[in-house]
Amino acid sequence: MRRSPPQPATGQDPVVEAYKAGIDRTLLRDNLRLSVEERFRRLMQLQRSAEELRQAGRALRTRR
Amino acid sequence: MTELPALLALLAGANVDYVLVGGVAAVAHGSARLTMDVDVVYSRRRANVERLVAALSGHSPYLRGAPPGLPFRWDVSTVERGLNFTLTTDLGPLDLLGEIPGGGTFEELRPEAVTLRVFGIDCLCLSLPQLIRAKRAAGRPKDLEALAELEALLEE
Repeated sequence: MRRSPPQPATGQDPVVEAYKAGIDRTLLRDNLRLSVEERFRRLMQLQRSAEELRQAGRALRTRR
Repeated sequence: MTELPALLALLAGANVDYVLVGGVAAVAHGSARLTMDVDVVYSRRRANVERLVAALSGHSPYLRGAPPGLPFRWDVSTVERGLNFTLTTDLGPLDLLGEIPGGGTFEELRPEAVTLRVFGIDCLCLSLPQLIRAKRAAGRPKDLEALAELEALLEE
């Protein structure tokens, strides 16, 4: 993938910096080792799982 | 769930001019955040709107969250009268944006966008610096955490 300049400056916003401290960079590094297509396939897998969990949650509320 | 391969193939096959933005573009750059829809900025040129309308017309486009039965017509004049459309389609949720804060229109975004080769298809996607500028410009509280992650990706 081609990356283009200009690069925006980071570290400008203290709130963003505070959030940044909590980011799990190991997940980002794992993703960066994948191809874009693999990242998209992983996203679709996560979407499927999220939808199944939502359905399970709905079913649980209905049973109560 | 979004059928990304089918959606991208559909848009490419119809020669629709668009650029991926939002959460899916962030995932392309390595984001670990889950997003459930696809956001694209489409060219508002008449010929492109015609191609977009024709491409999606067989995929049941309808306003997301709207009650069923509204007199919503998916046609060129509807798209030309509006700008941004949050749709359900049978390929998944799709947000069509005429422009975005911090980036502008398709024609303004295209020069700095990157070309992804994915599922055998070339598609345009916002560059990481463009995504960061757009998130900053959006300025919504919910975007701050996503912005932090994008900046972290830029630092990696």
